[in-house]
Amino acid sequence: MSAEEPSAVEEVSVAAGVETDRPWALLALAVFWGWLAVRWVNDFLLPEAIAFPRDQPFVPVEPVAAAADYLGSVAASLGPVGAPVDVLAGLAGFVAGSLPHLPALARGAWLTIVLTVGGMALGFVLAVPLSVGRVYGGRGLRWLSLSYTELVRGTPLLAQLFVLYFGLPLTQVIRELPGVGAGPIPAQAFWVAVIGFTLNSAAYQAEYIRSALESVDAGQLTAARAVGLSRTEGIRYVVLPQGLRYAIPGWSNELVYLIKYSSLAAFITVRELFFQAEAIANDTFRYTELFLLAALFYLALVISASVFMSWVEARTTIPGIGGRRRA
Amino acid sequence: MTLLSVEDVYQSYGEEQVLKGVSFEMEQGDVDVLMGPSGSGKSTMLRCINRLTDVDSGDIWLNDTHVTAPETDVNELRQNVGMVFQDFNLFAHLTALENITLGLKRVRGMDPEAARERAHEHLEQVGLSDQAGAYPAELSGGQKQRVGIARALAMEPKLLLFDEPTSALDPELVGDVVTVMQDLAAAGMTMLVVSHELGFARSAADDIHFLDEGRVVESGPPEQLFEQPEHDRTAAFLSGLESGER
Repeated sequence: MSAEEPSAVEEVSVAAGVETDRPWALLALAVFWGWLAVRWVNDFLLPEAIAFPRDQPFVPVEPVAAAADYLGSVAASLGPVGAPVDVLAGLAGFVAGSLPHLPALARGAWLTIVLTVGGMALGFVLAVPLSVGRVYGGRGLRWLSLSYTELVRGTPLLAQLFVLYFGLPLTQVIRELPGVGAGPIPAQAFWVAVIGFTLNSAAYQAEYIRSALESVDAGQLTAARAVGLSRTEGIRYVVLPQGLRYAIPGWSNELVYLIKYSSLAAFITVRELFFQAEAIANDTFRYTELFLLAALFYLALVISASVFMSWVEARTTIPGIGGRRRA
Repeated sequence: MTLLSVEDVYQSYGEEQVLKGVSFEMEQGDVDVLMGPSGSGKSTMLRCINRLTDVDSGDIWLNDTHVTAPETDVNELRQNVGMVFQDFNLFAHLTALENITLGLKRVRGMDPEAARERAHEHLEQVGLSDQAGAYPAELSGGQKQRVGIARALAMEPKLLLFDEPTSALDPELVGDVVTVMQDLAAAGMTMLVVSHELGFARSAADDIHFLDEGRVVESGPPEQLFEQPEHDRTAAFLSGLESGER
């Protein structure tokens, strides 16, 4: 057996560990994402003529409602013994009440996901230079980077979104851009939210990456310099590849936070998941049910995110760096 | 031909004077060993030669490159001066092979295939062909240090600096590293070694420079320093090393 083989086996078991830990959650997530994907393709991409009617649930409401009624009457006839059946009836009733709203929530979930992923990805692009400037920059750069992170982390995200949306002439500028608000491309509020989440997330991510960079042994950069790499190259090819691996756990945390914080975009009129749930609740007065439903969506998104990040962590683990299963 | 010339070098960290006028010369192909008590400035001396540390005053020349001149391109200089570290400092996220190819690709500008080929040659030279794909965390200390030597060698430096290459190693692992160093010395590599490895010093050193409190107290071939040292400090230090059987 060569030296590489045991580590390869271990690698696979780390990746597989993600799946064997929570098979039921994974099955539920597969159904959730399968349904979302079909819904999006149907509602956004397929021409009206051949598409399943938009705004109509794939599962018909009537049989579920009838089942709920039937179970309710059974429970009533059983008297006190019927309590468990009553719970089932309530569950069926919840499902029957939820089904008609699922298409709208799927549309909202799309925006929530794009907002979160976009904010994270663009925020990451800003966070890397911010954190490198903070750790390796001169006095000016360090000060600039520190001020930015403290300003952003020290003020409420909602206030930041309000400043961007109401305070700055940003919306007018974005509105004039070609394509904005046309067809499947969201209107200006969405883009303001993406900018807001990017700027906000960059500050938090920069903090995670900064502490990860600081945990990379100083000898690594010294060795890179001794080989003849410039300081910038040493940071780029030696320090960052290690630091970013150390940053993954904190980074997963930030992703989970941002999924939930993206609901604040509702306050600047972005029709994301929370906005949709609230709008429907306002129409139907079924607040508890709709917010419970929205909560289940967020829960599914958050669990998906943590499964995904475990996978990323397992994929990028190198012996001696990162990974939860190796000492 | 004089390869390295160190002329009256002073260096300090803040208030603390580390080097107080160090001078010595090395010919092409020489193997010199720096010895001296801890804090005597040996490691600092090495770091001045590849500009990891800047001198306060004095001059260092490598061939006709004025090392200590501010306008000297340090990245170019460092291609000509390899360094091997006490705690190895292998790039932790790269395999043994990639540790060697990084510099070849990014500094020497070699294409990946050629870099891999050369890296394999140098791994073979240090007896680690079978560990090319291993990460540093999977290697023993002695193996790590041999990869460190291969990494420095692959850049084809004119001068190789060793900063206590064996002092972080378990005693039973020292031999492999010393053997590699002896082979290099025999092959004509110019080496400046900070080490208290007496076996290596006796068998491979052309000159030993004994440093104490930032000054070269005494220089000479090993037999002279070991058999008839001129200074009491040298004698006391070396006999201390010998009785410690290092």
